[in-house]
Amino acid sequence: MTRGFLVAAIVAMAWSSAFLSAQNAARGTARASGKSAAPRASDGKPDLTGVWQGASNRRGTWEEANSGLGVGGTGRDPSAPANPASQQVITEPAPYQPWAAARVLESFNKRGIDDPAALCLPLGLPRVTIVGLFPIQIVQTPKQIVILYEYMHIFRVIPLNGKHADDVVPTYMGDSAGHWEGDTLVVDVIGFNDKTWLTGTGTFHSEALHLTERYTRVDKDQINYDVTIDDPKVLTRPWTIHTTIMLREGTRVQEYVCAENNLDPARYEKLLKEGINFTRQ
Amino acid sequence: MARQIFGAWLLAVVLSRLTNPLLAHHSFGAEYDANKPITLTGVVTRIDWTNPHSYFYLDVTDDKGNVANWKFEGYPPNALSRTGWKREATMKPGDKVTVFGWRARDASNLAHSREVTFADGKKLFFGPPAGTGDGGTTPAVKVP
Repeated sequence: MTRGFLVAAIVAMAWSSAFLSAQNAARGTARASGKSAAPRASDGKPDLTGVWQGASNRRGTWEEANSGLGVGGTGRDPSAPANPASQQVITEPAPYQPWAAARVLESFNKRGIDDPAALCLPLGLPRVTIVGLFPIQIVQTPKQIVILYEYMHIFRVIPLNGKHADDVVPTYMGDSAGHWEGDTLVVDVIGFNDKTWLTGTGTFHSEALHLTERYTRVDKDQINYDVTIDDPKVLTRPWTIHTTIMLREGTRVQEYVCAENNLDPARYEKLLKEGINFTRQ
Repeated sequence: MARQIFGAWLLAVVLSRLTNPLLAHHSFGAEYDANKPITLTGVVTRIDWTNPHSYFYLDVTDDKGNVANWKFEGYPPNALSRTGWKREATMKPGDKVTVFGWRARDASNLAHSREVTFADGKKLFFGPPAGTGDGGTTPAVKVP
């Protein structure tokens, strides 16, 4: 074992330890201040029904949780750049294979001009869950759970018998099969096409993508969302993301028809045609 | 208390290393230049409450009396409604407002609007912060 490797291993362990401590600290704080227990459905399961905001750790109504600050903003200074820390998404650097990491970096350096969302396509998973700007509605029944996403006006129907459809073909949102493990809803998702991003800019995947989502409503206001992303064709190992999804009583999911007036693709074309440099390098 | 502060510090340190998860319909940085902030005062001439983005237009008069019509891009109607905007009341053609935002890279009279200040001093966000949707400051993967 080389000295360099040893140092790297120690750093990785320290990183891992700090990561988990911070994650638990954040969630511990939230749990400690929780006021009410998670409501139960008629079948005794935790009831996830409600309108929610992903990638947030703030309690209260939409206005209380976001006013002054703005989703993604610092609130103290409107001219301040987007602030990742104002959103509650805990992850690690994405473990892409070297060739794939280079492709992710290419998108980053092109400032995400190749974002499928700019074409108004469905966002895919888990990306659509962490769009903090748009609410999510969960409707739970004993046999299935429906999730309505305002962003791109898309939905998922999750049967709770743990079985995938027998005719799965590649799609933007994949095929979901859910079941309860104690008080945690576990959703297995397969059958994705390769046309969406996983989270941030350039985080592409293959059709081999397999997600395991875990939704745990720890109290009335908070769902802990943990998702393991497995894609052996582009990742070196499964990649796990943790975030919290917060209840937003009084908010409703509204219509969002992205294709109505989508001017961006034409503007991108204009930038490229006129040779205007917008890349990072 | 000390433990809580340490926890918060640790979280901040961890978050600072992470992928910027902020998402928007399209890339801020491709179209707009965060190094070109601009503040303009003018009279609203038109508002388009459309998806995926809303737009409003402002007649801006310079020192010599020349009038230029500027176009500002911002949140879709749903996000505006949750940010405190009332479609028929908050801002109407003819209103005088001041807008803070960032200029388009092509140097046209187009800007990404962040904050609008109304005649009575009230302020509302019309768009997200600079850097939204363009990957922010940190890529999702480690740079080799």
